[in-house]
Amino acid sequence: MSNVSVSSARSGLTRRQRNALWTSLRMLVCLPFVLLIMVPLLYTFMMSVLPADELYYRLWPSHFDFTSYLLVFTKTKIPRHIINSFVVAGSVTILQMITCSMAAFSFSFLNFKGRNVVFMCILATMMVPWEATIISNYLTVAKWNWLDTYHVLILPYGCSAMGIFLMRQHYLTFAKELHEAARLDGCNNWRFLATIVVPLSRPALGALGAYIFLQQWNNYLWPLLVTSTDNVRTVQIGVASMYDIDSEQINLMMSAVIICLVPSLSIFVFMQKNLINGLMAGAVKG
Amino acid sequence: MSASRASASPAKLRRSSGLTFYDKIEPWLFLLPALLVFGVFLYYPFVKTAYLSTFLTNKYGEAKAFVGFKNYMDILTGSRSREFWNSMWVTIRFVFFVTIGGLSMGVITSMLIDKKFPGNAFASAIFAMPIAIASSAASMSFKMILHPSIGLLNKILGTQINWLNDIRYTFPVICCLAVWLATGINFIFISAGMRNIPEDLYESASIDGANAWQKFRSITLPCLSPTLFFQIIIDVINAFQTFNIVKILTLGGPLESTNTIVYSIYLDAFRNFRFGSAAARSIILFLIIMVITLIQFKAEGRSVHYS
Repeated sequence: MSNVSVSSARSGLTRRQRNALWTSLRMLVCLPFVLLIMVPLLYTFMMSVLPADELYYRLWPSHFDFTSYLLVFTKTKIPRHIINSFVVAGSVTILQMITCSMAAFSFSFLNFKGRNVVFMCILATMMVPWEATIISNYLTVAKWNWLDTYHVLILPYGCSAMGIFLMRQHYLTFAKELHEAARLDGCNNWRFLATIVVPLSRPALGALGAYIFLQQWNNYLWPLLVTSTDNVRTVQIGVASMYDIDSEQINLMMSAVIICLVPSLSIFVFMQKNLINGLMAGAVKG
Repeated sequence: MSASRASASPAKLRRSSGLTFYDKIEPWLFLLPALLVFGVFLYYPFVKTAYLSTFLTNKYGEAKAFVGFKNYMDILTGSRSREFWNSMWVTIRFVFFVTIGGLSMGVITSMLIDKKFPGNAFASAIFAMPIAIASSAASMSFKMILHPSIGLLNKILGTQINWLNDIRYTFPVICCLAVWLATGINFIFISAGMRNIPEDLYESASIDGANAWQKFRSITLPCLSPTLFFQIIIDVINAFQTFNIVKILTLGGPLESTNTIVYSIYLDAFRNFRFGSAAARSIILFLIIMVITLIQFKAEGRSVHYS
């Protein structure tokens, strides 16, 4: 502490003044980095509201023109793609919450032969990159005539090692006595899971759900491979293909990008804390 | 609920006489959906990919003739080796730059919000935000930013550069987008690591008269090293698997300068219908990623005491 007072005496500033100086310096340095992250999104938004005749020479619109948003909803297939994305991402989220909770329950509350081996086999799947399975998966679903359906987008993502791991980590914090007491009261395992464990793990389930939904909403390659009609195409494919179809309509394209970002950004804003905690817990052995 | 209660009673009645058959299979019933999904969509296709990699396939991906390691030899030393080693070299450079860039962004942004200041929470939300953004959507907006005639970058610089079709610029530009996308996850993990460094270490360093740089060198970096190591592994694996931005922005070009190994797998399988050869590439990539992951597991065992 003496050091601080010596040096501040030397520079002729009080400690408070020094702190204020540092804080403003910090904000000043922070600003370019904040801008660096925000500019692509702000620019996309600006391009979506620029009146068409100003597109080539202005960055800031003379007035905000939202007609392209209206056009996206009335003239393109994007609304259908959005519905598809909600159906797929929503189904995967619900399905994974169920399958992961069940599997994690088995691994953390029940004793059985081979438990650790099976658990390791599931964890090991995290090592397998998607390229190693996607070709065979594509050939399989093509042979089953599953292309262009909802279930081809949903079922392959019906469970995840990350989800099982996350839920198991959470269940391990439960007291064993809780399970024993419930068993003695005649509560079977299914009921125990559904009425006691699941309600008690709402934050973990919420984090998992938000994570899965984001992942699915942003999924690109698998939907690109297995869908070819607008009836099942998801929004990322729809937006990315707008450039090929109609590269002249820049407002339209940029409005579509903003529209498809709204759901994922809303989840991020509302679930930020939860989501980050979930990621951290999963990464302990990711 | 009444249905499940009814099914419970027989099991409960016989509990005193040891485990019933149902008790024995119950843990597996809970695992059944998970094992089904993993079996059908992970284990089986993985084995099938390894199997296909040793066959010549027709355009429907059916194995036609066993050729042993010929697919591998073609890629590694034979007729397609030039293209393969080019994609390998592109990927290694890409992984290197994106990892360095992502880590730097993570460390810088984490240090910036380490102390409380007005707007601190806002800044950290912005830094974490890229985790929520789809790489395909981000690629679309970068497509406009990099547009040769009306793009933001050319407007700012006053140039007319065709960023996505000029062999000097395309690769760096793709790396920058990947770093932008990686900033979120790097920021989240590194800032969490920084928060875990005990404050009194800095205080006693101040008493000893250490300046800011000395504190960073001898406290922040060593305490952060387990986090940084873990983050490097995540960044490397993610960069290895980058596909979307290449597919949307460059299609591997110009002159294969952005043809990463993942994109070459996609081309091989889904454009040229050489599934056997693509499978061999996938297995090679899997082996690389497995080695990296094993290094992580090993190193994690050592760093447990640290945290």
